[in-house]
This record gives sequence, C-alpha cells and structure tokens, in this order.
Amino acid sequence: MKHFTRVLAAGALLAMAGGASAQAQGTLKVGVEVPTTGSEATYGQDMYNAAAIARDEINAHGGVLGKKIQLIVGDDACDPQQAVNAASKLVSQKVVAVVGGYCSGATVPVLKIYGDAHIPFVITAANSTALIPANPGNAFLINSTGDQQAITAVKFFQHKKIKTLAIVNEGDAYSQNLADLMRTAWQKAGGKVVDFETVNKGEQDYSSVVTAIDAKHPDAVFWTAYYADGGLLIRQLRQSGYQGMIAVGDGSNSVKLFDIAGKAAEGVYAFSNPIAQFLPAAKSFIATYKKEYKAEPGPYAPLTYDGMQLLVWAMKKAGTTNAAAVEKALASANGVHWLTGPIAFTKKNTLARSNFVVLEGKNGAWIAAK
Amino acid sequence: MSLSVIIAHQLVNGLVLGSFYALVALGYTMIFGVIKLLNFAHGDLYMVGGFVGFLALSAISGVVGSGWGGIFLAMLLSMIGVGCLGVLIERIAYHPMLHAPRLSILITALAVSLVLQNAVLALTGGQYTAFHTDLGFGGIHLGPIFISYNQMVLVATAAGLMVALEFFVTHTQYGRAMRAVAIDHDMCRLMGIDVSAIIGVTFFVGTALAAAAGTMAGAYYGSLWYFMGFLIGLKAFTAAVIGGIGSIPGAMLGGLILGLLESFGTQIPGIGSAWKDVFAFAVLILVLVLKPTGLLGKSEQERM
Amino acid sequence: MAGRNIQAARLLGPLAAVAENPRLRGPALGILLAVLLIAPPALGSYATVILTNAFLYVVLALGLNIVVGYAGLLDLGYAAFFAVGAYTVGILTERFGVNFWVTLPIALAVAGLAGVIIGGPTLRLRSDYLAIVTLGFGEIVRISARNMKITGSASGLTGIEQPWLFGWHIATPRDFYYVFLLLAVLAVFISVRLAGSRLGRAWLYVRYDEDAAEAMGIDRVRVKLAAYIIGAMFGATAGAFFAVNLGAISPESFSFNQSVLILMAVVLGGMGKIPGVILGAFVVIIGPELLRAAGDLRLLIFAIFLLLIMLFRPSGIWPGRRAGR
Repeated sequence: MKHFTRVLAAGALLAMAGGASAQAQGTLKVGVEVPTTGSEATYGQDMYNAAAIARDEINAHGGVLGKKIQLIVGDDACDPQQAVNAASKLVSQKVVAVVGGYCSGATVPVLKIYGDAHIPFVITAANSTALIPANPGNAFLINSTGDQQAITAVKFFQHKKIKTLAIVNEGDAYSQNLADLMRTAWQKAGGKVVDFETVNKGEQDYSSVVTAIDAKHPDAVFWTAYYADGGLLIRQLRQSGYQGMIAVGDGSNSVKLFDIAGKAAEGVYAFSNPIAQFLPAAKSFIATYKKEYKAEPGPYAPLTYDGMQLLVWAMKKAGTTNAAAVEKALASANGVHWLTGPIAFTKKNTLARSNFVVLEGKNGAWIAAK
Repeated sequence: MSLSVIIAHQLVNGLVLGSFYALVALGYTMIFGVIKLLNFAHGDLYMVGGFVGFLALSAISGVVGSGWGGIFLAMLLSMIGVGCLGVLIERIAYHPMLHAPRLSILITALAVSLVLQNAVLALTGGQYTAFHTDLGFGGIHLGPIFISYNQMVLVATAAGLMVALEFFVTHTQYGRAMRAVAIDHDMCRLMGIDVSAIIGVTFFVGTALAAAAGTMAGAYYGSLWYFMGFLIGLKAFTAAVIGGIGSIPGAMLGGLILGLLESFGTQIPGIGSAWKDVFAFAVLILVLVLKPTGLLGKSEQERM
Repeated sequence: MAGRNIQAARLLGPLAAVAENPRLRGPALGILLAVLLIAPPALGSYATVILTNAFLYVVLALGLNIVVGYAGLLDLGYAAFFAVGAYTVGILTERFGVNFWVTLPIALAVAGLAGVIIGGPTLRLRSDYLAIVTLGFGEIVRISARNMKITGSASGLTGIEQPWLFGWHIATPRDFYYVFLLLAVLAVFISVRLAGSRLGRAWLYVRYDEDAAEAMGIDRVRVKLAAYIIGAMFGATAGAFFAVNLGAISPESFSFNQSVLILMAVVLGGMGKIPGVILGAFVVIIGPELLRAAGDLRLLIFAIFLLLIMLFRPSGIWPGRRAGR
C-alpha cells in the first residue's frame, strides 16, 4: 500500500505547490533526473526509489556537511524536450548536484544545461557513447559504456565455443548502441552474426522474431535490452524449442527477469556490473528496497544508490558543495565502492575499469557463471 | 529449417497475433459504428482488462486453479467488470459530447486514455506484474511444425468470441438495434429504439472483448504493464481501418491480415523486424489508396 | 453559436472581451508583445525555457491548425513534418557542414515535398481514413529515423551547431526565447493573412460543403494539398529551430504522442481560431510544468484537467465563431 500513501503524499505536495516551496533550513537539494511518467517510468521510478534509500541512510548518519539531503525529482519522461524543462526547473530550484539520467536521448541535451549552470551530474544509467563528446566536464558516468560490455561478452562467447550469434535489440538508444557494438566486436573477433533483429518495446508477442531466429540456428542469442521484454523473449524462445545459449545485457540483470520468464530463464547468462546480491554490503539494500517498495530492485537501482553515495563522498571530501571542488573530488575518486564495485574515472569522466562480470540464472536467482 | 516450415510457423504466429488484434479491433469498430468515435482509450481498456483478469485469477485460483479453466473464469469476470467500466466511461466522458465537434470527442478519448494509463502507473508504481499461471509448454507436432496447446486454445477462444459476437449482432434484438443505430440515430429514435441504451450495450460488448483479449494476453505472454495497451491500440485501430472501419467482419479480417503482415514482414529479407511496421503501414496506405473505404467497408456519404 | 461566444467571453472575462473588440485588439496585442519582449531578464532561466517551448508549440499548433482547423483534414501524424525539418537541418549541418541558414529553405522544400507525397494520393479519403494514413506516415518517418544510419538511428544526432546571425551567436536560452517568439509572431501573422485570403475562403468552403465548393469551381484536391504543404512548412520551420536549440535530436521527439500533443493544443483552445490555438499551446506546455510538484501523478492530474475542459467547453476554451459543428 506504499503506492497509496505516495499518492496521498503527492496530493499534499501539490496542495503546497501554490505557495513558496517550504525550504527547511539546513537542507541540501539534490536533483534526481529520471522518467517518472511515460513508457519508461518503470525504470525511472526504480532509480528514484534507490536514491531515496541512499538519502534516508545518509540522513540517518547525520547528513552531509551538517545538512540533510532533500531529493527533488525532475521527470524527463524520456523525452528530450521535457528533459530540458526538468533540468531547467532543477537548476532554478538551486539543486547542488544531480544524479540520474536514464534515457540517453533525453540525457544528451541536458548536459549543456547542467554544464552552463555549473552543477555536478552523476549519470547512473544512461551509457550511450553519444554522451561522451557532449559532456562539458561536469558529468560523470558510473555505468560502463557498451564497448566494455561487448569485450566481456566476446570473451565469454569464445570461452563457450560459440560460433554463430543472433543479436536482438529494442530500438532504443541504449540497446541499439550495445547491439551495434556487439556486432562489430563479434565480427572483428572472427565470429558470425547470423541474425540481427530490432523489436518494439512492449510488443509482447515476439513469436515471429523467434521463428526468424530459429531458422538461422544460432549457437547463442544475445538480448541487449531490458528485463521486461527480455523475459518474454526468453520464454517464447524456449517455448518454441530453441536449445542454444541465451545471454542478456546489463539492462536485464534484474531478478525480475526470473519472475517474468519463469523456468525458461534457467541457464541464461547475463553480462552485468556486480549486482547487489553478491555483496554483503548490498544485502541490507535489497532488504530495505523490498520492505519499502514490495518489489525487487531493478537493473539501475544499485548504480543510482551508488551515485548518491559517491556524490556525498565527494562533497565530504571537498568539504563544500562548491561545484568546482565537488567535480574535482569526483574526478579524484579512486576505487571508492558501495554496491557495484570500485569507482574511478578516465579523463573523459567515464568509468575507468570494466566492471562486468558474467552471471548465470539458477533456481530463480543470479549466481557467478563459470 | 526449410522454407515451407518457416512459412507454416509464421502463419501460426500471424494467426495468434492477428486473433488479439482482431478482438481489440472489433471493439474499435463497433464503437466507431454507433457514435463515429475513434476510441483511443480502447487499447488502455485492454490493459485494464489484463490487470482485472489477473486480480480475478489471484482471487479464485485457490478454488479453481490457474489452468485454462481458471483463466476462462477470470476472463469472464474481467469482461463483466471492464465492460461496466467501458459503459461508465461512455456515460461520463463521451455521452455529454455526442453533439460536440467530432474532434473534441476524439481529444476526450485521448484524455481518457491518459487517465487510465497514469492511474494504473500510480497504482502499480510502474512495475511489471508477472502473470503466473499453470499453463504448460506442451503441444502437438504436425511433422516439423510445432503448435502449442495454448496457441490452439487462444485462437479457438478468439474465434468463439467472434462467432458469439456475430450471432449477437445478427440474431438478437439488441444486435439489430445496434446496427440500426450505426446508420441513423434520429431515425432510430423515431422507431422507438432507446439509442442511448444501445450505445451503452455497444460499449459494454466492445470493451468486454478488449478485456477478454487483455486477460488472455496477460496469461499467455506472462506479464502485465501499465503501457501495454498503447501499441496494441494503435495496431487494432490500423486493423479496423484495413478491414473497413464500422464493419465487424472487416475488423476480424483486418486483424488477421495485420498479424500476418507483421509475422511475414519479419521474415522477408530486406524488411525484417526493424522495418516490419513500416511494411505493414505501407500496405495499409496502399489498400486505402486502391480501396478508400477499407477491404469490407461500405462507401458512405461523409457527414460531419 | 452566438450564445456560446457570449459564454466564452464571460468565462474568459475581460481578456476575451478585449480580443473580440477590434478597436482594443491592436493596442492589447502591442502591450502583450512588449511585455513578452522585455520579460526575459525578470523571468529566470526556467520560465524562459518553458515559454520558449510554448512559443515552439504555438508555431506547431498554428501549422496543424491550417490542416485541421482551416481545411478540416484530420492529421494524426503531424510530428512527421516536425521531424523532417529537424532531421534535414541536423543531417546537413552536422554531417555535411552546411550553414544553418542555407539548410532552412532546403528543410522547407523537403517538408513541402513530404506534404505532397502524403497528401497527393490520400486527400480523397474520408477523414477517418485520412487519420490512419497520416498516423501511418508519422510512424514510418519515426521508424525510418530510428533504423537509418544517416539519421543516427536510435541515438539520434548530437552536436548540432547553434547558428550565427550577422555576428550574433544564437546560443543561450534567452536568445532562443526571442527567436521562437519571433517565429510565433510570424506564424500568427501568416495564419491571419491566410484566413482572410482567397485560399482561406476556399478552405472554409471546402470544409463546410465539399460538393458545393466543387460546384463553385474550387479544385478541392488542390486546395487541400495547399493546406498540407503550408502546414508541413510550419512544422518544418519549428523542427529546424528545435534541432539547433537542443543541439541534439532523437526519434523520441517525433512519436505519435508528439502528434497527439500538438493536436490537443489545436482542439483544446478552439480549433480554427488563432487566439484559441495559441491558448491551447500554452495550456499543453505549461499545464504539466505547473504540476511537476505532483511527481508521477502529474500526467494523471493533467489528463483529468483536460477531460474537464473538454466536458465543460466541448468546442474548446476559446472557440471560433463557427465552432459549434
């Protein structure tokens, strides 16, 4: 019934919106830019939930620089225009930093806005390579970019003696980018891509794609998009009698995949950042998430939690919320870690090391693959 | 896999997909028939139908299990519940608008669609809901072609619902009245037909069909989502227009054709899954250019 | 219909009364324009961005209004023209290094051509069929942009240069505020002139009675096609400046939802009437922004609000004199 209370809370918020925003003394405003409406709200709300858990923990431990953190959500609806509106609003609300960024297409145009306003921006999900040249220097990507994932995947497929590959993406910037990178990397490594498919998000019925894949007899199928439709594709592949390997990208690393795909997800491999399940530090995060939101954390929840922690770490290190100092502290991050492994940045503010591991689905959960 | 086997498989895929399109397209076309409204909220009622079916099944599965028997019962409950919701929406949002400009009522339908989507988004927190059932993976092998029992039940159910609808429309008093209302409201009033009640019945039946499709899709594919009605709503609209909007057999035919176009489009080299929708829309445009009222639509004088 | 108009005047109060009075209209518009011209320094960046967005939608909605409101053709794929303008400019400037001002007329020409391609074979269709055909074209354009290399596929185009005009680098949000304000004023001016032109009267005639219009010697297909082409050019102009304003474009901006939003702006305010359409554009942009505090409920509340507007004012907030059909 968490949602109902949230509905009520939002109603109350709206009632207050007319007056001046009641700004409690001694709070630091941090913006969370994610889609909370529209077709991508599933992932955006999940990220916001994770940020809220981090906020509660940080505030319970005395906050940062003697102040409590207050989150302000900026709904970009995964739409470039709305993203610009949301970002401008966050800037006008004088946030000291922003975390989030889910849809790459909606994140690219806001880089300039946060850049011009001198606001540090920790990007916790969006990882298209298009973000890198557009970054004015104040944005830090803590999700590995697709090329690193492709390297991990190529190595793993070679190790498993895979010769032919079918790649399926969902036609959005993230999954199409990963699919293209994978195709290039795989062909360069001497492998064969026998089938390359683009499906529509939320289509439910992937049977015609499954038949097209079956006709090519690939050794492995690689799904580069998210768990929700990935779960359905896996089910339909197995139902049709496909026996080969199925692998999924980091957008499908959520355990929710097992909820949707059921038994069909047994033996599926995932390339992922080290997800929460394996880390003792993360046990409490998962427990809190389940308790608060009655659901398993989604693919970018741990990263968004880390983004908040990283920001607070940087502010503490800088001893101020001054943007230049915080950015300098962020850039100096050298292996600090919470749920998703050590964080350090390249000169281009992307994650310095590939943090990908290979997971295997077993009894409805992920284990480290052999 | 030989080409003929691939073709046979895609035929089955297209029929299953087309059955869903047809069920949703039927409601589109019936509602268009009686009040000339493109009910853009129809796809979202399919979504709500899926969720109501899921809740119903959760409530009764302890007693009846969650095989096809339980699913049918849940589907029936969903059809009744969501059918009533459809009537309620018509009474609140569309009925007062019947004499407003036609575009205004279209915008109202779009607003209703937004309300339904966002209400379910708020209630589910945006989460996907896994629709667990006891349906197995079994099926029969016709030579190299595999058809699952679920696919057979699904197509048979859709066909059964369509036959029942056809009987309702052609052989019952309500059905006849519905067809009369589709032709001329004022004349029906003069003949003593309660036009407003017939519009209500049409909304109930049309929406119930969408709810049936939503429940079956949820159970068959295994998940529900607040946005799942959007795409199928567009597709069903397309199907209804290919067949000739306002024509009931046309909606069935249009649904099947669209399903087949998509499954074969995926297979045709040079089109593939990335371009299959472009292919389907291109065929649609071609059909309309050659036959401006759709395949089975009657040409009629436009009255705005 | 007069009754409805009086009601509108009462509801919108003095605002409508001023706008309906020809003697007060000129000075009132002048004052409004002056306020908008000197406003930005007082607005802050957020309000500047939102108003810029609203001006963009004024251009788009007035463009669609020519197709839907003037010529009476239901178009559910107007975002396609918006996309054609944005991508033409994006591709030519970013990939081929062409100067923005050179690409602008090219974008208009391409959009006009797209209007002919879409309109040519389909304008004889009944409006419901026309609706699906335009929807289909809209989706074809979006999916093509998503699939093709030259449009940057799903990631879209980034790094689109912001233009120079006689030594003025149009770059800041405030610069674009003035650019879009100017575009909106131009769009209003052209719409007013069109409505009163020979072509405008032909549209009116065709909209009310096609057969009678034909009998009077009006070539209805040509007249409708003209509406399509002019509407397409409005959309492409908006798209061209949209691309340089954001500096990055991607297929998400040109979805069916975009077409729906523009159509909402047209119908909500009062189809066919310029002040109504402008008001509609402001409502669809500013409404959801005012509701940001409601978080993930903001669209739900906005949708309920939309529903109430339509129920209580079926012909739009500010309907035209002949809107009651």
